[in-house]
Amino acid sequence: MIPVEKTIENPYLPMPATVERTFIETADRMIKTVELSLARSKDQAHFHFVPGQFCQISVFGKGEAPFGIASSPTETGPLRFTVNKAGVVTTAIHHLEIGDAVGLRGPLGHGYPIDRFEGKNIVIVSGGFAFTTQRALVAMMLDQNNRSRFGEITVIYGARTPGLLLYRDELRTWEQRDDLKTYLTVDQRDDTWGGLEGFVPDIVVQVAPSSANACAIVCGPPIMIRLTFPRLVQLGFGPDHIYTSLERRMKCGIGKCGRCNLGHLYVCKEGPVFSYARLQTLPRED
Amino acid sequence: MMEAQGEKIREVARRLLEQDRVDVVIGFEKGSLPLRASPVFVRTVAETHRLIWDCFCENNLARYLTRIDDHRVAIVAKGCDSRAIVALMAERQIPRERLTIIGVPCQRMVDRRKAAAAVHGEILAARCQDSNLDVEGRDFRRSLPRDAFLYLSCRLCTHRNPVIHDVLIGDPVEESTLNEPPSLRLERCSDHQRWAVFSQTVSSCVRCFACRQACPMCYCQECFVDASTPSWIGRGTDPSDIQMWHIVRAFHMAGRCVACGACERACPMEIDLFTMLEKLNRDVKELFAFEAGISADTTPPLGTHDPDDPGDFIL
Amino acid sequence: MTMKKIRKEDLKRRVEDLLETWQVFAPVWKEGMVEITEIDDPATMSLDGPPPRIPPKRLFFPQSEVLFHYAKDTRGVEIDSDPEVARRRVVLGVKPCDAHALSLLDCVFNGDRYQDPYYLKRREQTVVVALGCDEPALTCFCSSMESGPFSRKGADVFLTDIGAAYVVEVLTPKGHQLFEPSRLEDASPENLEKAKEREEAAQKTISSHVERAGLVDKLDEMAESVLWKYIHEKCIGCGVCTFLCPTCHCFDMVDEGDEAVGQRVRNWDSCQFPLYTLETSGRNPRPSGRERLRQRVMHKFNYFVKSFGQPACVGCGRCIIHCPVNLDVRRVIEAIWTAQ
Repeated sequence: MIPVEKTIENPYLPMPATVERTFIETADRMIKTVELSLARSKDQAHFHFVPGQFCQISVFGKGEAPFGIASSPTETGPLRFTVNKAGVVTTAIHHLEIGDAVGLRGPLGHGYPIDRFEGKNIVIVSGGFAFTTQRALVAMMLDQNNRSRFGEITVIYGARTPGLLLYRDELRTWEQRDDLKTYLTVDQRDDTWGGLEGFVPDIVVQVAPSSANACAIVCGPPIMIRLTFPRLVQLGFGPDHIYTSLERRMKCGIGKCGRCNLGHLYVCKEGPVFSYARLQTLPRED
Repeated sequence: MMEAQGEKIREVARRLLEQDRVDVVIGFEKGSLPLRASPVFVRTVAETHRLIWDCFCENNLARYLTRIDDHRVAIVAKGCDSRAIVALMAERQIPRERLTIIGVPCQRMVDRRKAAAAVHGEILAARCQDSNLDVEGRDFRRSLPRDAFLYLSCRLCTHRNPVIHDVLIGDPVEESTLNEPPSLRLERCSDHQRWAVFSQTVSSCVRCFACRQACPMCYCQECFVDASTPSWIGRGTDPSDIQMWHIVRAFHMAGRCVACGACERACPMEIDLFTMLEKLNRDVKELFAFEAGISADTTPPLGTHDPDDPGDFIL
Repeated sequence: MTMKKIRKEDLKRRVEDLLETWQVFAPVWKEGMVEITEIDDPATMSLDGPPPRIPPKRLFFPQSEVLFHYAKDTRGVEIDSDPEVARRRVVLGVKPCDAHALSLLDCVFNGDRYQDPYYLKRREQTVVVALGCDEPALTCFCSSMESGPFSRKGADVFLTDIGAAYVVEVLTPKGHQLFEPSRLEDASPENLEKAKEREEAAQKTISSHVERAGLVDKLDEMAESVLWKYIHEKCIGCGVCTFLCPTCHCFDMVDEGDEAVGQRVRNWDSCQFPLYTLETSGRNPRPSGRERLRQRVMHKFNYFVKSFGQPACVGCGRCIIHCPVNLDVRRVIEAIWTAQ
């Protein structure tokens, strides 16, 4: 048996955190951004993360749930999480007020493989509220200290209606930039919408991003991912150059409670980011 | 007699499958251990040889009926199992027209744990004869009197003959009159004593829910223990959570339980789940003159309201 | 290592001494079944009975335990956790399959990236004394699962019953806390001969075998097979197999209390329950018993092997004996092998 350290860090203990800001993202009020700061300076000092990683947010008394980190490590200030109101914990998060004390465990999982993205063109394909960690990735790449490490950045992001797009103010600034190409689409336009109309997988075909020296990251509802993968392959992206981030019901977040496994890998620990090539070797669990 | 019943079941199954009157026959096959039989789903004539009948056929196969989708099913049913079928029909959970009920007058089932405890050493082989249970171990060979090794629910059974059937396997058997129900002894106890017995009985529960899963009447899509809004009870081993689980389940069974004993047989901790249900069944019989699973046209009393309900016990 | 021995009365006396400062756990008969429980009198120990219904994993990974307490007010939240184990503990009479299972649980809870202090502190503070199993049952297939009736894996001390005494093998430094070998009699050649006979006899008694050579690959091939539909059909979806299994480690985490004061608790959970993987949206990657049963079999015989190089099954047979519908995992593996 491997000898146990005298003091093991307890990976189940949340770090105390404070709600700094809350912001309703979508017109249906179902998606809200909360920004949290770690209460203890030693926790802040040790918190280093990579886009794609997630945290378990605790609302004490209600429970804990996993959320992708939506802020970039290049951004100072609180950590951003964008939460869809769906169950007990997410509803409780929606009711949080500035100054409330919550818990945070993380960063957990493995983020996007930035080393594999170096020098490559990056294509981000996203749907709905899965955009969070991809936003973090783009923000990190756009940072002036990082931009030159990557080639062309293309973002194809869609939602059902314009009001359901996340981070709309920021998206508008991205559309003005010349160091990335932004294609926003909605399934159903309205009078305010001047952009593209169509399902994300179809827009991918339409935009036809080049696969030359490129990696793609696809996040969204399972059906969107299932339809997008083959279209990217058709465009010439090899499965080992296509990445996604999976979601599962999670509890421990550290590969011990057993529930989030996909084959012998845990979405919380070896994931949540997986390449399409890797997924093809794992059991299909819809 | 059981051998003959087994042969008849196979014959009926063959006929039903040959004539394409059913898609599957749910019955029993020989278990992989002594003292066991195991549910089997037979779909072809070639497989019908697997079907058997003996005193280890302890499961209530009706619990599979709430998930047969649109298949036509033949099901082997003892008296209690047939009551479960009727109770499910009364609750509109299964379609009578797609069922072929192979009713088997029951010789009553052997309590495998009781038999195992009666000998020194592991039972390596067992054979049920009509009045004996022959068991064999590494250094013993005994013929146990079967009647002394029946499940509690079987000892108390007053419905050995199927209450509904399309085919009857063998001749009806004589029904016994109700022996002294075990819960009578509890009725003579004070509240404190009853609580002590109950809390002690369920204290070894490990929340595996085998009792619930084995029960044909527990078919809720979401059991109350799984609800999160609100969370009715905790899922751990806090005694109050364990007690609440058993109390609420028993009350959900009141007027619906067909006394098949599937719950106590399934329990890995050998908890006597039967006595509390037997008590509730008796109460329902007394208060509402109702027994679950006898008539498909009568709605269970706790699922209905009638202005003429005998309500004298309500304050 | 010199083999030692201890007379049975001397073991009882050692236990009496230990009781002054240690917690002692041993198998006892309780209401018709064996249970591993804390004892205060060595006379109650039943070391040569059948395995305990619930395996000793319960002593290291209890069915319910508090992970931490919290107390929240306007100033913030305080989180309080104390996985320390105050007294040293010894668990006697552990069946070798159950001891081996502990070494498998160690793989899970003592990961390279994350370590579970609750389990590990208990492991550190507990001496596991295994006792060679003289009477394997029909359902025991430990020898096929890299274990065996006299497997030493997972044990700190290994005892072999030779009649009036036990041959003692002190296997780990922790085992020395319990038995300082220099203070024990040497086992005589006759003792050792007797012990060897017992071990060989037990191994010969194992009648149940599961073919494992190539099983991981075969299971990979069969992952999408229609066979699983037929295998799972009679499964009623309870948690007996998982809760009685010495290597199952799945758990749930819930908060109890209110927003001001309470605790986070972990409870055993089962991959056989639909809620286990149910997502808040209603989507369930394992929507039916077919996927869930497949998950269990794959985890034990395929996934765990890929992660840790050995199967997560020790062949103890509890799932076979206690499954309410006699769904026998050995039959499942046979069906996997014989399927096209």
